Amino acid sequence: MLAVPVDEPVYHRVTRFQPSGSLGMPGPYPGQVVRVHSEASVDAAADKVNRDLVKQMLARGIKALTGDARTEDAWARFISPSDVVGIKVNCSGAPKICSSPEVVAGIAENLVAVGVPAKQIYVYERFDNQLQSVGYGKYLPEGVNIQAAETSRRSILGYDPRTYVETSFFGEDDTRSNLVRLVAETLTKIVNVPNAKEHQAAGVTGCLKNIAYGNFSNVDRSHRFAKTNTLSFIGTLAATEPVRSRVVLNIMDGLRGVWHAGPFSEHAKFRFHPKQLMFGTDPVAMDRQLIDLIEAKRKAEGAVSLWDRSEKHVGRDNTDPNINHFIREPGHVEYASKLGLGIYDAAKIKLQVIEL
Amino acid sequence: MLLLLAALPALFWDGPVDTAPALRDAGIKHIQVPAARLAEWKNVPDMAAEAADLQGALKLPAPTVNYRMDQASASRAPWLTSNGWQFLRQPKGRFYYDATGKTSALAAAEAFCFGANVMVRTDAAGLKPLAEMLEFLGSVNAGPLPPIADIGFIDDGSEAAGEVMNLMVRDNLLFEIVARPDPRLKLTVRLGATEYPLADAKNPSLVAHVIRGNLTDEKRSVRIYGSPVVVARLTGSGGKVRLHLLNYTGATRNVDGIRVRVLGQYPKHQLAAAGSPGLELADYSVDADATEFTLTQLKTYAVIDLSR
Repeated sequence: MLAVPVDEPVYHRVTRFQPSGSLGMPGPYPGQVVRVHSEASVDAAADKVNRDLVKQMLARGIKALTGDARTEDAWARFISPSDVVGIKVNCSGAPKICSSPEVVAGIAENLVAVGVPAKQIYVYERFDNQLQSVGYGKYLPEGVNIQAAETSRRSILGYDPRTYVETSFFGEDDTRSNLVRLVAETLTKIVNVPNAKEHQAAGVTGCLKNIAYGNFSNVDRSHRFAKTNTLSFIGTLAATEPVRSRVVLNIMDGLRGVWHAGPFSEHAKFRFHPKQLMFGTDPVAMDRQLIDLIEAKRKAEGAVSLWDRSEKHVGRDNTDPNINHFIREPGHVEYASKLGLGIYDAAKIKLQVIEL
Repeated sequence: MLLLLAALPALFWDGPVDTAPALRDAGIKHIQVPAARLAEWKNVPDMAAEAADLQGALKLPAPTVNYRMDQASASRAPWLTSNGWQFLRQPKGRFYYDATGKTSALAAAEAFCFGANVMVRTDAAGLKPLAEMLEFLGSVNAGPLPPIADIGFIDDGSEAAGEVMNLMVRDNLLFEIVARPDPRLKLTVRLGATEYPLADAKNPSLVAHVIRGNLTDEKRSVRIYGSPVVVARLTGSGGKVRLHLLNYTGATRNVDGIRVRVLGQYPKHQLAAAGSPGLELADYSVDADATEFTLTQLKTYAVIDLSR
């Protein structure tokens, strides 16, 4: 392992897990994305989600993805009653922007409906303070677990010491990023529920970023000054077993979104309401749609492209939508496609759009 | 080879005898006092006193961590105020700390870890933590053990060499000071040599990075994962090694878990952690090259004896 900064990180994966099953990324529907939009899903002025409409959106989306007539049949393609299911939420922008409790509760209810006992469902995230700020418990079926990997910030105890990706980006002394212990030791399936957000380092934070940086420790070391190694690190983590095999479904919560200064949401002026949910088993194809969504919003707001690499747009004051902390790496989505995680070529992506 | 001295640090106390009850209440049983006060302290029951003098002893900064949140930096690692390099440079030196409050315990542990001849001067708030640490150190005192190092450092006595040694200690790059290359060691470092130009020594952090790169992480006898504020020291020989772990934030907060990798196969282990009786190592594994385990909590100081 090198101890000095490198241009092309060398990754060393340590895992005892082998690929398993046929459902893991890119899953049975490579290149397919379903987008369900409902103008009434969120009252933008009040920032209030219509829970009943969300339930309908979930049902329409999953059925459109699988082609099944019944919602239970669609879910049963991914989940069986014996599974222990993790719902990987994203709470880095909480409480303003996160995997909406209405969406997460709707997913949990569908899992229960196909026979998964509530006690075998885990809503999980890395950081306990962020997770607790949402208050998922009020929405979820009784018995569903809510669990964070780091109840004490930077504690390693919630991570599996035997499953990690090792690399040196900038000569940092701690060169390991370990997998969340819950994923390694308990879960058999994961439903990934990212948000629709711009990300200062990765360009966007969607399916891939949520399942990669959201499942491993010590990942913020990949950024320093204007440089970020998200280009290759995100895909590398997402493709590590058992993550790759256990993520069987992605439901992107785009009821709300962030178009600048993400993944946090400190500035209300950068929030917007796409009012949509996206469904798929292919995280690359879905994130490709997310890039288009955020890019279009930024263009409408007069902000520079996600793909801009100009040094003059790098700075600390990101209250200006043309200033960013890092040179963004939206190319991480295409990079992940080269690791076999999904389809990036727009011409090969089949997008179904449903309006409710 | 330098042997690690096993003498315990001592409390230096220049207060009058009417402070004796406070010392006893804290658990202090042995003090070093100025010669002028020795006669009065000699008559105090249950208190061993001996004369000592701060004159001629090198004053050390109290060990601590500065997170430098307000400074732009090429590194996110916090700044550790560590004195290990001073002890290694002057193994026969006399030192003292002014360490108030709980820092007194960390100071004593740091000195013990490096086998240094040290006095700790503290305030009333520091007496109990110091007494508890001294009791713990006495319980794990195993006598002199030789240090285990990966790097031989030829010390020219310069300020630059001192700072490079300081960074090596903080970065857990285990070294010993040598007069000439030693074939037992994996790497020899001399500032001014082709690989370590004197011009680079103006940036000691860069030199430490180069040293680490030349050694390679795979050959490091100890790796610490999960915390940038823990300093390790390894001693022992013949299939038995002792790992010392110091938490430089120990005066204010615990480290909630570190993963440790020690080169070599050590199926047996025994942990003694100050302030955490009964604590066990977790996720212990021995593979072809190394032994790994998790220390689930580190308050200030822990000693782990590993053997075959």
